[in-house]
Amino acid sequence: MSPDTWLEELSHELTARGLPAIDVAGIVVELHGHLAEAGGTPLGTFGPPAAYAGQLAASLRPRPQPRSSAPSVAGSRRRAGRLRIRAEGVTLAYRRRPVLHGVDLAVRAGELVLLTGRNGVGKSTLLRVVAGLAVPQRGRVTVHGSVGYAPQSGGLVEHLRPAEHFVLFGRPRGLDGDRARRSGARLAEQLGWDALAAPVVGELSGGTRQKLNVVLAGLGDPDVLLLDEPYQGLDLDSTRRFWDLVWAWRDARRAVLVVSHARDALGRVDQVVELQAPVAA
Amino acid sequence: MVEVNVPSAWLRGILDLCLLALVASGEAYGYELMRRLEGSGIGPVPGGSLYPALLRLEEQGLLAADWRAGDGGPGRKYYALTPEGRRQLDVEADTWRHFSGALQGLLTGVGAGTP
Repeated sequence: MSPDTWLEELSHELTARGLPAIDVAGIVVELHGHLAEAGGTPLGTFGPPAAYAGQLAASLRPRPQPRSSAPSVAGSRRRAGRLRIRAEGVTLAYRRRPVLHGVDLAVRAGELVLLTGRNGVGKSTLLRVVAGLAVPQRGRVTVHGSVGYAPQSGGLVEHLRPAEHFVLFGRPRGLDGDRARRSGARLAEQLGWDALAAPVVGELSGGTRQKLNVVLAGLGDPDVLLLDEPYQGLDLDSTRRFWDLVWAWRDARRAVLVVSHARDALGRVDQVVELQAPVAA
Repeated sequence: MVEVNVPSAWLRGILDLCLLALVASGEAYGYELMRRLEGSGIGPVPGGSLYPALLRLEEQGLLAADWRAGDGGPGRKYYALTPEGRRQLDVEADTWRHFSGALQGLLTGVGAGTP
């Protein structure tokens, strides 16, 4: 790996960890100067860019960042409000294969919760249960307030444009065509995407479809947002914008439940719930 | 100077104190600090731990950074001790003296005279 490639990767990694551009630039210039004077390869001197970015970011962590990072769990507990999602003992099996077993979950207004766990532990299924799209065999789920749900994939109509989706999805949430288009376009803009100019869904990339699903979930300002792997295919800039949007929702007292197995999500939420695989019956 | 192999865990524990002490004797930039640490006999500091430590000390307000134009290069980041850094250094230096005195006591007679 050439020094330039290494520095470039480091800069991407630092940006992805939410460091301000000015800090990233300072670090890159300082390390560049070090390498120029000391010789040696960046990999040998500093190690792999991702790991080193993690170390550098950890050094900056205590900095109070009111808007660009999630507050501590203690802080958010103080600000969290009424219970929006409560799941108790949720148990669900597909053809006798256990998917969820006795799962409990509580998410309050103003709280951002990450649902994580290995592949196949039922994260998406639990989200569908909370969204009312799957019915557990045992246990109880209560949701207080309106719900916006972004599935991991699907849920879109291939031959309709995003603007037409806004109208379609806005109607059941009490938005007329104009307001639906406006608020959809505004949300999309926050993700760095010009949705009104976009072609039909069938011609959109995977990442843009995900943006559309997130926008549709946010239409009409629902009290509860359920987002399933919402930024897996997004580029770095879009990922940052995604988190900014999610934090804004949380700050506006919404309850936000995000499913992801991206490790960078861990430091960006108020609470992490890790699902364990149920023991086979 | 006798060549000693300082365990890296020790170095990790005292790197911040070493950096404060070095900067107290004159402002310096990263690579310069690394060379001065080596020259002091503390041993080579892995580059991987130097800059995170400097960043942390700057973040805690113990060091202040200043960018200066370099010779043709994009500039160097010089670190200097802040008044708070000076206080922290004084406190930690006292703690260290106490600690190393106690350790010295524990080690009395141990390994002395082994070739």
